[in-house]
Amino acid sequence: MRGRLLAMIGKEFRQLLRDIPILGVLVWAFTGAVYVAGHAISMETRDYPVVVYDLARGSHARELIARLRKPHFKIVRFAGGDADILRDLDAGKAALAIVIPPDFERQVERGQGRFQIISDGTLSLSATIAGANIAEVAFDYGVEILARDGRLARLAPEGLPRVEARIRAEYNPNFVNAWFASLLEMLNLTTLVAALLTAAAMVREKEHGTLEQLLMSPLRPAELFVAKIVPTVAVVLLFSLASLFGVVHGVFDTPIRGSMLLFYPVSAIYVFAAASLGLAIAMLARNVAQAMLMLILVLFPMMFLSGAFTPPESMSPWMRYASLVSPMRYYLDFGYQVLFKGNGLAQVWPDIVGILVLGGAMFGVAVWRFRRLFR
Amino acid sequence: MLERVIAVARKETRELLRDPVYLGLAFVVPVALMLLFGYGLTLDVKRIPILFLDLDRSATSRDYIDGHVNSEYFVLAGVVGDRHAAADALRDGRARVVVEIPPDFARRIAAWRPVAVGVTVDGSFPSRGEIASGYVTAINTLYNQRLLARFLARSGRGGAVAGGGALPVSMNYSVWYNPTLESKNFIVPGMMVIIQMLFPALLGALLIVRERESGTIFNLFCAPVRRWEIIAGKAVPYVGVVFLDYILLFAMSIWLFEVRFVGSVWVLASGALLYSTCTIGIGLLISVLTRSQLAAMLIAFLVTVTPAFNYSGFMAPVASQDAVGQFAARLVPATYFMDVLRGSYLKGLGFAFYWPQLAALGAYTALIYFLAWAALRKRIG
Repeated sequence: MRGRLLAMIGKEFRQLLRDIPILGVLVWAFTGAVYVAGHAISMETRDYPVVVYDLARGSHARELIARLRKPHFKIVRFAGGDADILRDLDAGKAALAIVIPPDFERQVERGQGRFQIISDGTLSLSATIAGANIAEVAFDYGVEILARDGRLARLAPEGLPRVEARIRAEYNPNFVNAWFASLLEMLNLTTLVAALLTAAAMVREKEHGTLEQLLMSPLRPAELFVAKIVPTVAVVLLFSLASLFGVVHGVFDTPIRGSMLLFYPVSAIYVFAAASLGLAIAMLARNVAQAMLMLILVLFPMMFLSGAFTPPESMSPWMRYASLVSPMRYYLDFGYQVLFKGNGLAQVWPDIVGILVLGGAMFGVAVWRFRRLFR
Repeated sequence: MLERVIAVARKETRELLRDPVYLGLAFVVPVALMLLFGYGLTLDVKRIPILFLDLDRSATSRDYIDGHVNSEYFVLAGVVGDRHAAADALRDGRARVVVEIPPDFARRIAAWRPVAVGVTVDGSFPSRGEIASGYVTAINTLYNQRLLARFLARSGRGGAVAGGGALPVSMNYSVWYNPTLESKNFIVPGMMVIIQMLFPALLGALLIVRERESGTIFNLFCAPVRRWEIIAGKAVPYVGVVFLDYILLFAMSIWLFEVRFVGSVWVLASGALLYSTCTIGIGLLISVLTRSQLAAMLIAFLVTVTPAFNYSGFMAPVASQDAVGQFAARLVPATYFMDVLRGSYLKGLGFAFYWPQLAALGAYTALIYFLAWAALRKRIG
């Protein structure tokens, strides 16, 4: 029995490893694609493109503009007129316009300087944050001017009263998006590739009519099932390991703080579950094209409910419940906790339970559908 | 010549109609994704769990805490007096933000002296961390404004300052294009671009390689049709399907999600037709170049979703990318269509404004089809 199983696993391995184009694609996926995702910026408002129309051209205006520079804003142009602002905002070359009126200097001296912000609300979230950042800059500058008033300075010798929020980020002090994005891409690809490879391997046997041969062989259902899954799991885990150390850590210097002895066994269970999902879908589909669309229909919601886009706490109630059945939610949380925060079993056991339960369910469905083949 | 294209197209259409599961999925998948993203994808980060390490335990510190908790942005995850408890909460994710209020907080505020609070943000999800920092900054600024107003009133300067803002520098804030700052107004149109990038490419990617795997491609090669006629004939029905999908998605965005639409339907439609042709073409090119359906699918997936999602300006303005990122954005057809589409929805600009994007998309499409034609070999083996 062992011999049969090993022979079958050997055949599947050879089939996978002989497929040079697929291996090439996988190499690209786990290196190039992870790099591409890591290189992009996300929605943070760093280098937010700003066009400035300075009609005052005085020292207060200059000072204010100087404070708007790095890190949050990037001045893309000093406008010469209203038309420039309109054009830049329309074309998306700038997402925010600052207009400083001609009498700004005089008004500031009189204690009532006002400038105008026009924000492109298309990307509403960045616009909100950019607004908050400018408000802070303006406020700070205003406080500074006030503090120059001798009478007030005597009342508050240490500076005007204020609460200074000293913000510091734990685990990723500079909010480097690449750390997060490259790891996210890697975890997503792990799921996708595991499901897709298994589904394709199985449906292809159906399309070519070789499935009947397998069914006629002395292999038992369980053996055939394991043989179809094990090579994928092994290959995907190997690639994810190479990707984690080669690109995520190697190129982007993402710190890896957790234990690999915790990360990899749980990853193996997860990949096994994803591969089972692929197999279950392969049982439903008649050809590769159908399997592909069905997989998208299942995998996209899973990725989407994983908490990578919308944090679970911000989800609407129905989504929060739906996200409970997305295995990716647990795996993602597990991955970030272990790799970024260096957390151990004490913190991540709920995630592991989630992966086990949902993985078990997917495995169960796959086995059940699979056994029906043998009737 | 044209009748041969039509003949190939009719054959493809018939095959498509004979696989109702596939045809059904070709409509169900984009609609389902749109429903999911349209209803579910709020990028609005709200209800962030915040924890206070309150070493002061005074009415003043309580008031400062309330300023954060009484907003929709934060929910109180607890007020603790122990540093270890705070660190643990941040570590296991019960809190995403920890604010440490120093022991002399109330005393310093009462004495009109500045005071610092330490804010620790969980940076493991960077954009979320930055948004949380932005909220803390905004709420803190608000608190400072009130504090300063009280101080100025006490020192006899309050009355001198007009117009609400108690400061010599303040701003008027106006928002264009999406005045209510609703995220659905940018997410729903943005998702149309992403879905319609991935999905047609996947459909197209199987078109040739499927026939190659099953061997039926030789029937086509032996038939008196030229290479470009094969490609055109195969593309036409699928461009039709994708364009229909697109009309469905557009209707959903307007009537279901009630996204603001101020532009021209014709600009949008011509952009969508070009874009559909382009993305099907990308699929076809992949299909010509690969030898197995699995490879074609994987490649179609890799060259569409990640680049489109990260570089097309879906989340952040293209202009805030670095030089490499901006160059990469130009290589992704989604960037051009994103401009046209968002502009049509929110900015209401016409052909006169968007012809360069449309022309670029057209040139891109022509290049893709040329490459597919050049790479398709009728030789066997």
